[in-house]
Amino acid sequence: MSLAVDLTANFDFLLGPEHKALREAVRRWVDQKILPNIREWDQKGEMPDWVLREMGEMGLLGVCIPARYGGAGMDYLALAVVCEELERGDTALRTILSVHVGLNSMTLFTWGTEEQKQKYLVPQARGEKIAAFALTEAGAGSDVAAMRTTARREGDVYILNGEKMWISLADTADHFLVFAYTDREKGHRGITAFLVERSFPGITTGRIHGKMGIRSGDTGWIAFQDTPVPVENRLGEEGEGFKIAMNALDNGRYTVAAGAAGAIQAALEASVAYARERKTFGKEIGEHQLIKRMIAHMVMKLEATRLLVYKVGWMKNQGIPHSREVSLAKLFGTQAAFEAAADAVQIHGAYGYVDEYPVERILRNAKAPVIYEGTREIHELIQADFVLGYRRRKPLRRELPPYDPEEWEREA
Amino acid sequence: MHVVVCMKWVPEANDVVIAEDGKSLSIKEGVNRIINLFDEYAIEEGIRWVEQHGGTVTVLSLGGEDAQDGLKKALAMGATQAYLLNDPAFEGGDVVATARALAAAIRKLDAEEKVDAVILGKLATDTETALLGPALARLLGFTQLTFVSKVRELDPAAGKVVVERQLEKETVVVEGKLPALLTVVKDINEPRYPSLLKIRKVARKPIPVLTAGDLGLDGGAVGQAGSKATVDHLEPPPPRPKGEILEGDLEEVIKTLVDKLIEAKIL
Repeated sequence: MSLAVDLTANFDFLLGPEHKALREAVRRWVDQKILPNIREWDQKGEMPDWVLREMGEMGLLGVCIPARYGGAGMDYLALAVVCEELERGDTALRTILSVHVGLNSMTLFTWGTEEQKQKYLVPQARGEKIAAFALTEAGAGSDVAAMRTTARREGDVYILNGEKMWISLADTADHFLVFAYTDREKGHRGITAFLVERSFPGITTGRIHGKMGIRSGDTGWIAFQDTPVPVENRLGEEGEGFKIAMNALDNGRYTVAAGAAGAIQAALEASVAYARERKTFGKEIGEHQLIKRMIAHMVMKLEATRLLVYKVGWMKNQGIPHSREVSLAKLFGTQAAFEAAADAVQIHGAYGYVDEYPVERILRNAKAPVIYEGTREIHELIQADFVLGYRRRKPLRRELPPYDPEEWEREA
Repeated sequence: MHVVVCMKWVPEANDVVIAEDGKSLSIKEGVNRIINLFDEYAIEEGIRWVEQHGGTVTVLSLGGEDAQDGLKKALAMGATQAYLLNDPAFEGGDVVATARALAAAIRKLDAEEKVDAVILGKLATDTETALLGPALARLLGFTQLTFVSKVRELDPAAGKVVVERQLEKETVVVEGKLPALLTVVKDINEPRYPSLLKIRKVARKPIPVLTAGDLGLDGGAVGQAGSKATVDHLEPPPPRPKGEILEGDLEEVIKTLVDKLIEAKIL
């Protein structure tokens, strides 16, 4: 059921005809291939392999990567559109884009050497290899510096030891962007980033069960036992890992914020359909004022989230640093999505509490994004610290390259 | 080989109502338009033929400016080129007048690169006449193969195609000579999703427009002026009769049901 008003219209000041065509293509795929099945996949806690394969075939897995690196050569706003439309289907789908494109491929694109890009980015953008991002540990979430994974240099290799936790696509990915201490004495300045292949020795992975939401998605752990990583697989310099990770999160948070708009859209579509169908006291419940209020709040949240996200997308296209803005979009959007999903369940009444309708799944899914990629609380601190003058965004040695249509479309 | 696919840009099915004049269809304001469902299978089939045998897939649509979006989608799926037939002279045409315009465009294409086949959907979901294909085949003098559900054999060198036609109660296998005109049903394939790479490439590219003048057509031959058929009036299909609900003892109900099914020759 679509809305009586197209809420994606009139963003022409930022979005072009390619974004419209892209949105339609992804929405259609989600409507035809995902929505009829997602309830079952969510119940079983799995997703068939063809989903990832078809995402690769369409080019979604390299949406904003230049054509010469195997991508579709679209801009960073296109990434937001894809994330929105995927999360309208299910959060697990958007999560794939977040880790594969946002956290891994875009970081590789920003920080990688030409050899590293050819070897790892090209197959990732083509969807031939799947990539994940391994920063968090059991005892190191918001407090990144508390991580315990180490990388000890021995001649031409680093020996990796430790365990990563809460890693999306841990059990699926071929490539991992792993963060480890090369020098623990230096605190977060002693963290280094590495490109690790699943086929390297000493790697085991597993899935985490019992999640509240995003159940069809693969979330797991990765253990490294004396895993040798060639020196040429170090991303950036020794000790640059923390900055690389934070820079990566500017992309990851963008995809999460965009996805939140998709989650609100899904909650709103379900709520509008139900409000027009269900009758109480002799009229459609959509005609009751307190239902209208919940619908109105969803529309407000959706429009505001989209505007915050597209602003960041525009800044990315221009090459303007946007750590503050993306943190705000993520903070606002994920909280808005959680509230919208809770209202959607409320509108559905008892039916919203069972899986006959999609809204309970949307609500369960919507909690995780309020926690990951910087908790709501971390982002509140970031927002306050920026205006209070306690935090400044310092220039990095490398920044995400600004979008250049000609450069992105150049084939080789 | 050169395959031409004819595509109609239609409103999403349930948004068409009979206009106040009782003679034409009216489309609700702001309604989303899509490629006619069956034409999407035709586009896919054309692309598959050319992927297999090499050559060109040209997609044609007669319609308003907005039909460009549909043609771009066909290009994003993998068609080689697309043309929009757009001219006030084309408006209000009956199926033969529309076929005349499309046939002229196909002849023009044929002069540039010989056309081996024309493929289109079995019908358009808005007007549902299923007449355009046969009319085009007749005007072009192509072998007419309607309701094709499977292509068993395609041999462009020998100029031969063997297809299965899905009729109401049977499937008929037909061998025909190229050039042929095929109308296709849903079973024939599964249309692909457009690739992002191609979506980006075609998004800002204008679709070339062909007018009646470009096709050497006299205004009197196409559109309303060239139409012999006039619509007297339209009416919605009669509502489906309500089903019969059998009540009472279960054994009795089952017996009555079986009797009724036998009576209706279903069993």
